Parts: sequence; C-alpha cells; structure tokens
Amino acid sequence: MPDKNTDLIQGTLEMLILKTLALMPMHGYGITQRIEQISDGAFKVNPGSLLPALSRMERAGRIKAEWRATENNRRAKYYALTEKGRKALKSETEAWGRQTAAINRILEA
Amino acid sequence: MGWMRSLGKGSKALADKHARNAEIDEELEAYIGESVSEKVRAGMSPDDAVKAARAEIGTAATVREKVWNAGWESTLDRLWGDLTYSARRLSRMPALVFTVVLSIGLGIAANATIFSIVSRFVLKPPPVGDPSSLLTLYRTYNHGQCCNDFPAPLYRDLRAQAQSFSGMAAYNDAVPAEIGMQGDSKREWGQAVTANYFDVTQLQMAAGRGFNPNEEHAQVIVLGYRLWQQRFGGDASVIGKVIDVSGHPYTVVGVTRPGFHGLDQILDTQFWVPVDDLPELVVNAPDPESREMQWLHIATRLKPGVTQKQAAQELDLIADRLAHAYPATDANRGFHIERGDTLSGRDKKTIQMFLLGVSGVALLVLVIACANVANLLLSQGAQRQREMAVRLALGATRAQLVRQLLLESVLLALGGGVVGVLLSLWATYALSSFTFPAPVPTDLSVHVDWRVLLYTFALSVAAGFLCGFVPAWTASRPVVPSALKGEEALARPGRRFNLRNVLVVVQIALSLVLLCGAGLFLRSLESAANIDVGFRSRGVVMMSVDPVLHRYTPERAVQLLQQVRDGVARLPGVISATTTDGVPLSGKHRSDDFVVPGYPAPQGQNVVELFMAGPQYFETLGIPRIAGRDFGDENPTAPKVGIVNEEFVRRYLHGDNPIGHTVTGGGVPYQVVGVVKDTKARTIGEQQRPVLYRAIAQNIASDPSRDGYTIMARYEGDATTLIRAIEDQIHAVDPSLAIFHVQTMEEHMQEALLLPRFVSTLFTIFGVSGLLLAVIGLYSVMSYSVSQRTKEIGIRMALGARATEVQRMIVRGGMRLALISVALGLPLALAAAKLTTSLLYGVKPWDATTFILVPPLLAAVALIACWIPSRRASRVDPMEALRVE
Repeated sequence: MPDKNTDLIQGTLEMLILKTLALMPMHGYGITQRIEQISDGAFKVNPGSLLPALSRMERAGRIKAEWRATENNRRAKYYALTEKGRKALKSETEAWGRQTAAINRILEA
Repeated sequence: MGWMRSLGKGSKALADKHARNAEIDEELEAYIGESVSEKVRAGMSPDDAVKAARAEIGTAATVREKVWNAGWESTLDRLWGDLTYSARRLSRMPALVFTVVLSIGLGIAANATIFSIVSRFVLKPPPVGDPSSLLTLYRTYNHGQCCNDFPAPLYRDLRAQAQSFSGMAAYNDAVPAEIGMQGDSKREWGQAVTANYFDVTQLQMAAGRGFNPNEEHAQVIVLGYRLWQQRFGGDASVIGKVIDVSGHPYTVVGVTRPGFHGLDQILDTQFWVPVDDLPELVVNAPDPESREMQWLHIATRLKPGVTQKQAAQELDLIADRLAHAYPATDANRGFHIERGDTLSGRDKKTIQMFLLGVSGVALLVLVIACANVANLLLSQGAQRQREMAVRLALGATRAQLVRQLLLESVLLALGGGVVGVLLSLWATYALSSFTFPAPVPTDLSVHVDWRVLLYTFALSVAAGFLCGFVPAWTASRPVVPSALKGEEALARPGRRFNLRNVLVVVQIALSLVLLCGAGLFLRSLESAANIDVGFRSRGVVMMSVDPVLHRYTPERAVQLLQQVRDGVARLPGVISATTTDGVPLSGKHRSDDFVVPGYPAPQGQNVVELFMAGPQYFETLGIPRIAGRDFGDENPTAPKVGIVNEEFVRRYLHGDNPIGHTVTGGGVPYQVVGVVKDTKARTIGEQQRPVLYRAIAQNIASDPSRDGYTIMARYEGDATTLIRAIEDQIHAVDPSLAIFHVQTMEEHMQEALLLPRFVSTLFTIFGVSGLLLAVIGLYSVMSYSVSQRTKEIGIRMALGARATEVQRMIVRGGMRLALISVALGLPLALAAAKLTTSLLYGVKPWDATTFILVPPLLAAVALIACWIPSRRASRVDPMEALRVE
C-alpha cells in the first residue's frame, strides 16, 4: 500500500493553527486532533512540527499561552489567539484565497 | 513590540536553559497524556494507548531539540558552547597560546600606536560645541595655492559680507606675555582673539565667561585650565581679579574647560586676550589697517541649513568682488575651507602622508604576525586531523568544525589584542615624551582613547579570521581513512610545496623589507648626528629673557643685555659669553631679500638668514672667522654693520672680498666688517644658506625680536652650577625678569635631531618585531617538519645515517626557504627604500652598506632557527620511530 501524503503544504501550518484557535483556546494535542478531524484525516500534525511552530508564534505575539487543567485533569499549556493573531489570520486567509483562485483558473484553462 | 517579547523570552530562556527545557518537557508530557486519554476513551487498552501515542510522537529528545532551536537563543547557546570548548582546549596548549598572543600582540601594538597618533591629530574633534559646523578658513594665492593667513581688513570684509556663517572669529595664534601676581612673573603663551571667539567656538567655560561683544579694547583675559591650576591653584575667586600681564593690569573674566588649548592641534595655548590689545603686549604688532600683513586665523560657524559647498560658492563670489575692489592686494586670491581644528592647512598634507606611510608599515608588521599565526595553526590543524576525522564520522558538519576552529583563532587574536593595547599604552607614553624644537610650547601628547580601542578590537577580530580561516578549512578536510590510521605523513608523498612554506617565505621576505628600512634610517641618524653644523655643539649653555615684556625700552634693553653679558663673562668657568636673538636650529628664523650694489641679484632664491650677534658671538659658538673683525660694543646710532658667511660671499659677491662693501636687506644698509665660516641655520639637513649677522646693539630698536633674547656662555666644568650662577647674575641685574629656555647646547642639538631619531627608532622597532616574528615562523615550520618526518628519520638512522647527515638534511630544507625569501624580499626592499628618500640624511636610498649587511644577518638568524630543530631531529630514537607504525 503506497504511503499516503499527509504532509501539509509548506508554510500553511501556522495559518491552520490560527484558524483552529479562532474557535476557542486549545492545548497542543487538542490542536492536532482538531486539524486531523476537520481534514478527515488528510493532515496529521506531529509535535516535532507543532510545538516549535507554537513557540515561534508565541514569540511573535500572535498567540498567548497559559497553563490550565484539561478535561482529563492534567496540567497543559493552553493557547489563545491575540488581536494581532486575528489580524494575521485574516490577511493570510485572503492571501491563500487569491493563490488558490489563481491555481484553479490555471487548472480550468 | 514583537521583537521585545522575543528578546525577553529568549533572554530568559538563555539565562535558565534548564527551566526552559523542563517547560518543553512538561508540555510534551501533557501532549502525550492527552493523546493516551483520547485513545483509551476510544476503546484502546491503556498499554496499547501509551505505545501508540509514543509512536506517533517519535523521540522526545528530538522534539525538545526542535522546540529549543526555534528560538534565537539557541544560536547563542551553541556559540557559547563552542567558545567554552575552545577556551578549554587552548588552556591545554600554553606554548601555542603564548606564541600566538605575543605575535598578534606585537602586530596590533604597532597598529594601535600609529592609530593613536591618527586619532589624536586627524579624527579627534575639538572640545567645543558642535564640532561638525565649525570651520577654518584659509586664504589662497596664485589661483588656489594654500594656505595663508588674513589681513585684518579682509577679515572685517568677510565678516560683513558673508551670509553663510552664523559667526566668524579671528585670532593671532602665538602671543607671549609675562603673567604674574605679586612679583612672581612667568612667561606664557596665549592668543589674541576677537571678542566673539568664545561664542563662535561655543566653548563651555570651567569658570566665569568668555569676552563680551563690547570688550574688543578692554583689558580682560581668559585663562587656560592648566595655567589656572598651576599658577593660581585652581582658585575660583581669581575671576574678577586683576593680574599683571607684561606690566599691564588685566581682569580675569574666565577659565577655559580642561583639554582646550586653542583651535590649533599642536600649540599649547594658555591664555586669551582681546585682539585689539595686541599693540600694547607685543613689539611690532601688525598694522590693523594693512591689507598686506597676513596675521589672523579665521574660525567660523556654518549657519544652520547651509552646506559647506554653498558657503564655498559664496566665498568665491566675495573673492571676485574683493579682487575688483582691491586689485593690488586681493587679485588672484581665494579662500579655502577646512573642518575646524584639523591640522594647519600647510602642515596637513605632509603629516597625512607620513601617517599613511607609517600605518602601511605597521600593517605590514601585522601581516607578518598573521602569517606566523596561520602557520602555527596549520601545524596544529595537521596534528588534529585524526580528531577531525572522528568528529566528521560521528556526524559533525564541516561548517561546525570550521566555526569552532575559527572561534579558537578569534579568541587567540583577542588575547593578542589585549597584549597589543598594553604595549601601545607604553608606546604612546614613550612617544609623548619627545619634544620638538620650537619657540612656543607645543602639545604633542598621544593617548589610547576609545577610538583606538575600537580600532584594536576590529583589527583583532579581523586578524583572527584572517589567520584562522585557511587553517580551519584545511584542518576540517582530512582524508578520513588515512587520518584514522595515522598515516597523514605518507598519504600525499609528492607534496613538498605547501601553504606553510609559502607563509614562511612571505614572512621572511617582508621582514627583510622592514630590516632594510630600519638599517637605512639608523644609518641616516648616524649620518645626521655626524653632520658638521659649523658651530660648537658642546660646552655651551644658554637661556633666554624677554625685556620687552617687562616694558624695557630698546635703549634700556641694550644696556640690560650688556650688563648681563659682562657679568656672565666674569663668572668662574666661563670662557666667553654673548647674546643673540635666535640660536641656530631652534625653529626661530628671520630672513630678508638682499642686494649688493654693483652685483647682479643671485639666480633663484635671494633670501638671507638674519641673526643678531653680540660681542664674542663667534668665539662662543666656535664659528671660525675668515676675514675682518668681530662685533664690539657697536654704537647704536652709528651706521649699521654686518658680518656675512662664506655662502653669502659666494652668492652675492661672486667670491670677491666683501670687507667694506655695503649690502642692503629689507631697505636697511649694512657695511660688511667681517666674514665667517658657514653654519647650519634652520635644519640639520639643509643646503648652505647665506647668513648675515647683525650687531645686536644696533638692531634691538629697529627690529626687536618677538621671542626674546638668549644669553650664551661657553664654559668649562659643571653646567648645572654655571646655569644657577647665570640665573643669579640675571636676577642681580633685574630680579623680576622671567628666564626661559634654559638648555645646554647638547640638549638643543638632541632636539634638532628629533626627526631622524624618531623615524629610526620607529623603524628599528618595526624591523626587530618583524624579524622576531619571522624567526618564530621559520622555527615552528622546521619543528613541525621534523615531527612529521620522525619515522623517516628513524629509518634512515636505523639504516646507518649519521646524526650530522640528518642535521644537514633538515638545515638545508630550512635554508632553502630562507634564501627564496631573500631573493623575493630584496627587490621589494629596494623598491620601498626609494620611498624613504625625503626622510634620509646623507644616505642614499640604495645604500650599499645596508643592503649588503641585512641579508646575511637574516640568513644567520634563519640558520639558527633551522639548526635547533635539526639537533632535535638527530636525536630521534630509531626504535621509537619504528614503533609508531
């Protein structure tokens, strides 16, 4: 059985994280699960990619973090969107929309 | 403020890496825990859930490393790790560290010292407000030739007409005065300035104020900080007090800030008075209405918003207008602008050329040092090939290895930088102790300041990269299988020409250039010291007084000098005594154009040096008389008489007997009554100049000296005792007279030799440094060569070679390098020597003695450097060599 390509398109991980957090604050595993669910298993995010991305985004001020108890009574780091992150999500969504529209026009030509 | 958050979090993580790693681990554990919980909820058994969760995540350490690497602090952390590793490694190699640090230290000390001079005279802004808008103006002649001073009317015209400047001040730069309180008088040097001088310079005062606009004619004075400290005890209450300035009462209104001694780089000015006071303070003050007398310097401020180019354009227009208004004096004249407080325009080019040349030589020393260090590091690198191979095999990248090795080089170079700064502190202290022969006090002190430290740091880092990059690159490129087996020496048997040998050849060749330069300058100094100056250079003491500053009339001054001379002549130990206006080779010089009726004017220059001489002048200075008589107590009102030297006779009277002829200079006729031998007048290296000696008694009234008069005594016995006796004699005549420039003729001659002495000292130090470095380089290469050939040598000896044969083989290899170096270096040295022509006295740039002696010296030193390793080579134990296999 050939390996299914579940890698994200390069550079889109941070955008997906922003979108996921726009709904509600989540911890790392929660983000992974959500992306996998919504994509019907098309994308699997591993912590080796997720955690560095979260660290970079926190440094950049797009998300903020706090330690809270999970529903399983375990202490975990919850991430939430900041106003700056909300703006970034909007601009990246628009950019992505333009790119995919352009690609579709080429494919339909 | 994203970067501030990143900076804050990164710094915190760096400060406590352990805590940061713990946080990452905790987050990772939470992630795994949540994953397990979710899988159990989905029906998986706890054990299976744990296995599955961990399989999804992969290696925890890998994730931790990835998160850590996401921050900028990880780069710094890696660098710090390499740094501490390098420091630990270096501390296990003290011999290498010592050699490298000393090598680079010498190179950097040379550069730091020269840069201190550059910083002092070229880069350092004056201690005035906003130095960037302060300018100095000069007057040009013959369509652009620089640089003259300004007549007073021209200054007033410029001040009135120019719109580009917010203020324009003028000053006369060297004004002597006796400054005293309660009878304690001392001679000091100051400047006469326009009342707006302190406004234009925007100078902050240490006490009091500058001049007010309405004080152009007032008897007010501003003291220099040093003068205030030394003569007035730093007393703040001196402000408002009246002090005696050359017999006139002056009110002290202010004290300048520390470090300010006027806008001239070199003059050590210690007081300022209004420029209109000049006539009462000095004899022959310039005529403030003359457009021909050029005696004022101009300092000016650019108006805000005006560029220097715009100001220059306006000045060109003004020059045209003035040329039309005053064609006799202002035609073909222009103006030149310089940054304020740069070196005087006429000195600037010469000094800059000199500094450029010396900087080049200092960099040459550093290049030799770097070649030396590169050689040592290459040798080290060769010995570490096995280590490098192992690290490469274990996964290190070449970039990592190069970075770490470069870090070692830079660490060593910074150590050298520290040594260099310490050496340059000593060198600048030594330089500041040189004193130039000059009638006015000078400030030529040099210090190590922050600019020098910054330059030194940059040079150290650059040297580290320069020295270290090639060795680092080479060392990180071993042949893995051979290095692991320790077979480096045999891996490339055909290579004899390699980088280490090239570096040694470069070092020795450049050292040859430096040594030849040093040889030339030492020969030049010897030649200069042996130049026949034409007068007695030992057994004479002298000191000066300035009766004019004590309000003596010319007649009374003549009587004073006669009394003093007569008294001194009678002192025990004095053979003869005399008076003069300027001692030869003292930087004072007066001259005039001369004509002789019945003889055509000489071709080219017709300027004659003028000296005033009292009775017994020529006997005291040991200048032989050739014809006629000496001066007696000449009658001040009789026709003037003069004594000429041989050069004057040759040039003006074609060798005819001049006795009885009348010669005219500056409109004054002199009857020639004697002829004396030629002497040097201004500088030791000059061609003979025509000289006319005037009777001092006849000329004090008509042409007084602004620099006072000197009593000279030829003596036997102890100079110190005699100096005190002469001082007592002077004060017996007038207790209030200030005495200055107390000196023996030997001391005076040493000052006159300053330039050749300075240059030869400088180049000798450079030459010896270069030689030392080159020898270290050659020695280290030969030592390395021996260590690499241990097996070969052992086998040879096992097969019957004798110790002497092994030694000869090693020495031959080293000497071949040395001879190649000499062959390459000699043409370079000959070319470089050509550049030094203007600084040499009595020595040709291609001096046979220098170029015949230096190469053998270098070869001899090289031989010693080769011989020591070769002796070690001959002691190789054959069994030890074989065991290495």
